[in-house]
Amino acid sequence: MGYLVLGLLAGLAAVERKGFLQAMLSRPIALAPLAGWALGDTAGGLLLAPPLELFWLGAVNLGAALPVHEALGTAAITGGAVLAGRALGVAVSPEIAILAVLVAAPIALLGRKADRLVEGWNEQIALHAEAALAGHHLREAVRCNLYGLAAPFAIAAVLAPLAAAAAAAVIPPLLRAAPGAAAPLRVGFFAFAGFACASGAKALRARAAPRWFFAALAGFAVAGLALWRLR
Amino acid sequence: MSAPVPAAAAAPAKVPGRSLARVFWRSLFLQASWNRRGMQNLGFAYAIDPALRALYADPARREEALRRHLGFFNSHPYMAAAIVGGAIHHEERVASGAEPERGPLAYKQTLQGPLAAIGDGFFWTALRPFFGALAALGALLFGAPAIVVVLLSYNAIHFLFRAGLFLAGYRRGDQLVVTIARLSLPVAADRLRAVGAGLCGASAAIFLLHAGAVSGSGAAVLAALAAGVGYVALARGARLLPTAYVATLMGIGAALLLGHLHRSS
Repeated sequence: MGYLVLGLLAGLAAVERKGFLQAMLSRPIALAPLAGWALGDTAGGLLLAPPLELFWLGAVNLGAALPVHEALGTAAITGGAVLAGRALGVAVSPEIAILAVLVAAPIALLGRKADRLVEGWNEQIALHAEAALAGHHLREAVRCNLYGLAAPFAIAAVLAPLAAAAAAAVIPPLLRAAPGAAAPLRVGFFAFAGFACASGAKALRARAAPRWFFAALAGFAVAGLALWRLR
Repeated sequence: MSAPVPAAAAAPAKVPGRSLARVFWRSLFLQASWNRRGMQNLGFAYAIDPALRALYADPARREEALRRHLGFFNSHPYMAAAIVGGAIHHEERVASGAEPERGPLAYKQTLQGPLAAIGDGFFWTALRPFFGALAALGALLFGAPAIVVVLLSYNAIHFLFRAGLFLAGYRRGDQLVVTIARLSLPVAADRLRAVGAGLCGASAAIFLLHAGAVSGSGAAVLAALAAGVGYVALARGARLLPTAYVATLMGIGAALLLGHLHRSS
């Protein structure tokens, strides 16, 4: 049942991402908590949402250029983490989360390849629309546009549960076999999160971005430490 | 293909409000069948169809109009709302006989490129990443409610823009450019990008404080290193996913090494 829900969510996110609306509902910051909630671990989704959003902050559709499929990647990572946690009988923790990232993140690259295929299929739809118009079938020529929503939905609905299943199959035996790996993996999660923030700042492409990024990092870190000492 | 301009009609053709609302709703599907041949052509024809139905009772004229809009089109999906509105403005003039049939096409061809550049520069590389970074920071500080508030705010702005641009295009036609120029979007984009980078820095600080609290000061230092060195590597052209693997695995490796040294001392 969990895989079905994940597939449905990933499919809808893939449609919202480009074909309809584009209201940030398929961005990692929204999709990860939604997927976590749908699979019964909202907190796990919330743990993954900020680093994934910042990591893929630059994944935008500029002109004809295709970005990595961040929605597919997010659904697969969150699904894999929650399902692996379920198999271990625990909620998603940083060590489970980082293993899910390591196993499932490349699916976002595969998603980009699939997007290229979809564009090819859509060309066939465009030809069909032109033929319909030439045959005076105006309604069909116009309606064709909606056919293009099917392929992105189907691809994401299949690939996200597959990648999540791979993560859910690999992570529990790994953590059971090496319980001592939990602490270093937790550090790995924070290293990934720190890198994700750098990726976000870099994606903003502002001339002043390095100044703002490093100043805010230092300022907030010092303020946080001061607050912590005061307490 | 263009027919001669008919003699002036008795009353100017107007698209009813209900049809305009349907066009706006359908414009949200602009990229449903994005393809390399005509890019957003199917989406544009799908969006404008209710207006063409209202304007052209004669099926032959409607077919001709639809053919006009099934040609190549590509712009930013939010900014395209303005062009859809403006195309209806021009189609009304064509239907009234006040303009030749090439009018709507010329309008689309003139505006699609510049509006795509403005939309990409403002919405895709400034406003949306800014709100993404704000939502990430909000989630780290306040949890799920912050994400809801940020997404609602983004969409309030997004829909205000989209609907406003659609109406501006419809009402003002060619004067739309003046309306968009007044918004000074490139200036706002620069500020949003800089502040967005600051939000990413603040998020990094929170992560390293979390790391320190959960896994000790060594973890905080490693997170800070991943952020700092990671930024420099990306600025020098390193690829995102492989560099993320390197940063993560180096973090894990360093933690293993530190743990080993700690135990052996």
